[in-house]
Amino acid sequence: MFWRLLWQLLRASRGRLAVALVAVVAGAAVCSALVNLHLDAERKLTREFRTLGANVVVSPARDAGSASALLSAATLDAIASVRAPEVVAAAPYLYVVARTAENRSLILAGTWLDEVRRMSSWWTLQGDWIASRDDLSRCLVGRAVAKQLSLVPGRELDLHYAGRSVRLIVAGIVSVGGTEDNQVFVNLPVAQQLADLDGRIGVVQMSVTGSAAQVEQMARVFAAALPGLDVRPIRQIADAEGQLLSRIRVLILATVVLILALTALCVLATMAALAMERRRDVGLMKALGGEMSRVVRLFLTEAAILGVVGGVLGWVGGVFLSGWIGRSVFGSAISPRLDVLPLTVALMFGVALAGALPLRLLGQVRPAEILRGE
Amino acid sequence: MFFRVVGESFARNPRRKLLMAAALVLGMAVATATLTVVLDVGDRLAREFRSLGANLLVTPQSDSLPLEIGGVDYRPVDEGAYLPESELGKLRTIFWRLNIVGFSPFLEVPVEFPVPQSGTRPGMVSRATLIGTWFEHDVPIPDGTTFTTGVRITHPWWRVEGRWPADGARECVVGVALAQRLGVRTGDALALRAGGADFSLHVTGILSTGGPEDEAVVAPLAVAQSLAGRPGQFRRLLVSSLTKPEDEFARRDPSAMTPIEYDRWYCTPYISSIAYQIREVLPGVEARAIRRVAESEGHILTRVSGLMWLVTLAALLAATLAVGAASATTVLERISEVGLMKALGASGWTISFFFMAEQILIAIVGGVAGFGLGILLARFLGQSVFGVPPALRLILLPVILVIAALVALLGSLLPLRRAARLQPAPILRGE
Repeated sequence: MFWRLLWQLLRASRGRLAVALVAVVAGAAVCSALVNLHLDAERKLTREFRTLGANVVVSPARDAGSASALLSAATLDAIASVRAPEVVAAAPYLYVVARTAENRSLILAGTWLDEVRRMSSWWTLQGDWIASRDDLSRCLVGRAVAKQLSLVPGRELDLHYAGRSVRLIVAGIVSVGGTEDNQVFVNLPVAQQLADLDGRIGVVQMSVTGSAAQVEQMARVFAAALPGLDVRPIRQIADAEGQLLSRIRVLILATVVLILALTALCVLATMAALAMERRRDVGLMKALGGEMSRVVRLFLTEAAILGVVGGVLGWVGGVFLSGWIGRSVFGSAISPRLDVLPLTVALMFGVALAGALPLRLLGQVRPAEILRGE
Repeated sequence: MFFRVVGESFARNPRRKLLMAAALVLGMAVATATLTVVLDVGDRLAREFRSLGANLLVTPQSDSLPLEIGGVDYRPVDEGAYLPESELGKLRTIFWRLNIVGFSPFLEVPVEFPVPQSGTRPGMVSRATLIGTWFEHDVPIPDGTTFTTGVRITHPWWRVEGRWPADGARECVVGVALAQRLGVRTGDALALRAGGADFSLHVTGILSTGGPEDEAVVAPLAVAQSLAGRPGQFRRLLVSSLTKPEDEFARRDPSAMTPIEYDRWYCTPYISSIAYQIREVLPGVEARAIRRVAESEGHILTRVSGLMWLVTLAALLAATLAVGAASATTVLERISEVGLMKALGASGWTISFFFMAEQILIAIVGGVAGFGLGILLARFLGQSVFGVPPALRLILLPVILVIAALVALLGSLLPLRRAARLQPAPILRGE
């Protein structure tokens, strides 16, 4: 009896219900899209911050005796053995103050150029990059070096250090907008041979993704794997990143909460209007001898169905909406999250029921008055 | 007649108007708040990004190659070119002077520690770099005012245990790693030798930066200048400035622009135009963007403001939905009035006119109230997120009013059209 009545009720007023459903679906879509976005935005933004390059540095321990202490190649194996997915790139550096044939000093940086490429998105290149870390005959020169020594890609560059010398072919000119503009980059073995420091490196720079706390955690993991070495996040970047991210997070959260409240209110108003339109039905049912609790239950069930169906449909819409926002802002889709579904449905369910509550007030009204249309 | 009908309608049934007005006030408050915040978010975040430090590097034009590793110059003092300190006040005279948040000159001097400090093991290298800079220095500006700047503004991540040295005094802070190596503590006198002359500096604190300065002595610029025998000179200048993210236009070569384009470029705070203006006031320098900072800043700023605009759009949409739904409901509720008016001989147009006039009246009142509430909301939001309330933008008021009126009209249009087509008799019968 109850279900038959409900079915008839839903069928008879499908036009009005459709309008209310549209409001619920739209509200649920906006809610789920924004919650989804909020949950994913921080992860996306920490990835964006990796355009800042290296944020963790491994260097010789501070009490090792002198400032010019060096790391051994075993450090690199230890770093590689940690093999964490958070590490975007890791590159060793050995700096040598070399002299050119014209007796000018410059800094030769020996590193792994394939890894450097992955943590230096802001470098612009004229010529070719050295793609392999086994390429020992070519070098990359900074913009200022190229200007002072009139170098172009393809030219040769002779570098001397303590009686040893090396002849390199310029593969490309890098424009960095920093100290790197004054340096020459080669693969690690070239610098090690020139300085006669086989298997030694100066520092290791790493680019690690994650929040400030996660980076701190990774630094501790590496510190445990590298006893006696100094592993620390670069504070300039870690501090700024943490501060900016927390600001952005609060900002987005505050706006999302505002919109959620507004959307909930909007759905509430629609549901309340729908409920008020049911006055006549309630009056009629009461006049026919229906118990008030049963009548109210009927309409509450109607509202609940509306809320749940609208919530599920809205969640699907929200997934598409947040996907689109993710693509247009971050260039990569935001993965849909299933845990947003119960949240959206519960919110819409609650709001729909709250909107139908004014019906209870009708219990005090005498059916004759309602039926007369007052 | 018209005013009497509308006036009566408001006086007789204020409760019905209340739903509509409440929806309008809330919807427009959220719209105003999000719009105010989003219009300000670029400026605010650009200021927050200054915690990343300087984004412009100024060096002498005809310089030898700096032997810089990790931000410390290892060139001997007699090599390379220098810049005069006295010219620096001119930086605050450029077109975008208010966008220059701070600047710090640097001069590095290699020093030795002749007296073995307590705790030093024999055979240790007792050499380090002394970095001379400003901590919190008052720079005289040509217009007669002074500007306070230094590393405490441009390098906010530097932390000192103890106190910062005074800019005129013979004091210094010692990097945490060097202090450990030498066994130096706050309050000690640090003896050092540069270029054959012996000096003694009072250690006011231990500096930790997480960078190469941890291995150095940082002292006021005047101390480094006298150690290097270069009074009034420095090697490089780091400038922290508020900029607009670079776009296609900013990457064009200014010398190839038409005069109008050039003016637009010059009067936009792109990092390239600020660098250009610095080169104008300081002859013989090269000013370059520190691309690592500038590029990621632009990148992230563009992303975040894009995100905020989309969220604002969602807020506007939600506000529109709320107001539209409330508007439709109020009109639907009064459909029996439409029947009565029709029965008394009013045309569809007249009825629509009355209803729309009412809606617009509510929209204006609700819009103004919503604007006021939204401004309060935005102030609260800005205060709690950035610590600074966003600028009040009165230009938003007409925008909000137009949106409110449009949405209220649009929401009542559909039910009114339906009402206009209905026969008066069934409506009056209550069907």
